[in-house]
Amino acid sequence: MPQPEGTRLDRQAERLSARLAESQTRKSFLGRLGAAALAIAGGSAVAAAVKPDEADAFHLCGHIWTTGSCPSPYPPLARIDRKGYPLHPSSGRPIDNLGRIVDSAGYAMDGNGNRLRGPDGAVLPPAPRTRVCEDWTREQKGLRDLRTQGSWFRCCSGRIRKVVDCCSFSRRRINGDASLTGYCWGGRRVYCVMYYDTGLPC
Amino acid sequence: MLETFTPAVCGSRKRQIVAQALFAVSAVVTAAALGLVLGTIGNVLGAERAVLIAAALALLAAAREAGLLRLPLPQARRQVPERWRFELPLPVWASGYGAGLGAGFFTFHPVSTFWIACAGALALASPAAAALCFSLYGAGRALMVVWPRRHAGDPTAAVERLAGKRGALLRANAIALVACGVLLALAPTAGGGVRVAQNAYDPSYSGGVLAFATQAGNVVVRSPGRPQIVYENASQPALDRSFLAYVDGAGVRIVRWLDGTEVGRVPSRTARRPALDWPLVAFVRREGGWRRLVVRNIVTGGHRVHVSVRAGAQLGRPSLRGGRLAWHTVTRSQSSVLWKPLKGSKRVVMRSKVALVSNPSLYRSRILWTEERSGVSYVRLDWLGAGPRRTLERMRTRIRAYWTTTLGPGRGYWTRWALGTGAAAIYRGTY
Repeated sequence: MPQPEGTRLDRQAERLSARLAESQTRKSFLGRLGAAALAIAGGSAVAAAVKPDEADAFHLCGHIWTTGSCPSPYPPLARIDRKGYPLHPSSGRPIDNLGRIVDSAGYAMDGNGNRLRGPDGAVLPPAPRTRVCEDWTREQKGLRDLRTQGSWFRCCSGRIRKVVDCCSFSRRRINGDASLTGYCWGGRRVYCVMYYDTGLPC
Repeated sequence: MLETFTPAVCGSRKRQIVAQALFAVSAVVTAAALGLVLGTIGNVLGAERAVLIAAALALLAAAREAGLLRLPLPQARRQVPERWRFELPLPVWASGYGAGLGAGFFTFHPVSTFWIACAGALALASPAAAALCFSLYGAGRALMVVWPRRHAGDPTAAVERLAGKRGALLRANAIALVACGVLLALAPTAGGGVRVAQNAYDPSYSGGVLAFATQAGNVVVRSPGRPQIVYENASQPALDRSFLAYVDGAGVRIVRWLDGTEVGRVPSRTARRPALDWPLVAFVRREGGWRRLVVRNIVTGGHRVHVSVRAGAQLGRPSLRGGRLAWHTVTRSQSSVLWKPLKGSKRVVMRSKVALVSNPSLYRSRILWTEERSGVSYVRLDWLGAGPRRTLERMRTRIRAYWTTTLGPGRGYWTRWALGTGAAAIYRGTY
């Protein structure tokens, strides 16, 4: 369980996160839908409960547990979009698997927003852009059962951050030691974590 | 010189520490600069084969240090100028002594190890790596100034004690040199690639001849003992013995590269990326919503489509050698390097949902390709079928990447390019 942080507001945030997680562990579709709706549309409710300071963190803001980040283009900052594809950790713009900022069609761009050109002067073709949990972690760690499942919320840089579990049936997590159930469900356990910045103020 | 760094000579304990620090910084910086210069020279000269010479020199030096051979060393038998410490301010003479000893060339060496390190830095052909290695030499020089003060009141006594162990030190040095020689001999490609052409890409190698495209828009053919031949307004060269295929404004043209005689042509303007294995030419052609990899026999006119992918996918520059065809495909979800016998089914060399694998080239039963991941890129070599996979070169950077490759007997060529400027160069490595 999340560590108590000592203040009343923090405890409220813990309870809210726990409720979100519990609604998912019951395998309730409505529960998961409710959590998503609260995160996206009802962000102000979460914001009201989350302390407007940086959350404690072991290796990324918002993560108070020891499980490591999933493999990503900018380790250990496994920032993802809503669908689990990688984003640039600082700018939040979509990046391909090589860590290059890309446009909506997947073409790599330079700092001025122009499409990158190769040594032959032609526009570089798009490189693969795949999901951090289901594709990156699966290939690099050799696990075939990975799913993006549980999540919880923290305040980071004045915005609500959704920390997301990448879950597996493996009893060993990315750190190499025993994995925890965390907010995963269906018998899966937390293999590694990612995060999604909602953009909602807190 | 060690007695120079005493409170008595420096003026106080504090000034001694300042002098030692300046000496150490100067020695490390100068030694690193020497390594940088040697690594750059090795890189420019194309000294990757010199690694074997360095290995041989290390073994010779080991024999010398073990007393098995008597060989003179090319060196100045001087010491640092003593008058500096009387005539110059402390910061200047301390730094000057550090620079003199860090550079190595200006003072006496009782053993030959320094010169082996120089040969190794040349053979390394990597300025940054050589600078890093040589900075350790500078650090060693600095240690000899600091160390005696920590263990004995009189630095000369410490040096005398060290000299008393000369026999053991020489034996240890000989063993270290033997280890260096063996390691160098076992790792002939440790230095990575050596640049062979600047502002150039798309290398193609056959029979000792190298062709490549220049960023000025030409194709150059380099043959040993001949002046290089330039084909203007051409790109994407593919070489096979005396034949050269390249792309011009009208399609793919095949010539005898020595005299430019045209021997064949693929007239389609959509034909690109030729690979040649005379009389066969492979090329990528766009047809409606598809990209197709076609192999045509220039003599008989027969042709066959070997690969088709949707136009949204990337179908890379093929390689055609000895009845085998290799290529790469890239989609938004994965990249693959594949090959097939011309009369057989396709086989996967590598497929990844994370890395960008591309630009394969064939030589007999070997295949070379590039693999790019976030922040690190590799040039990989493998046997077709099963075999140990090797990395010929690795770059840990986000600002440079690999482009096309070509493979020959015992050597491979690959293109490195800078993402910011587009500047490209061709490098050679051995396997």
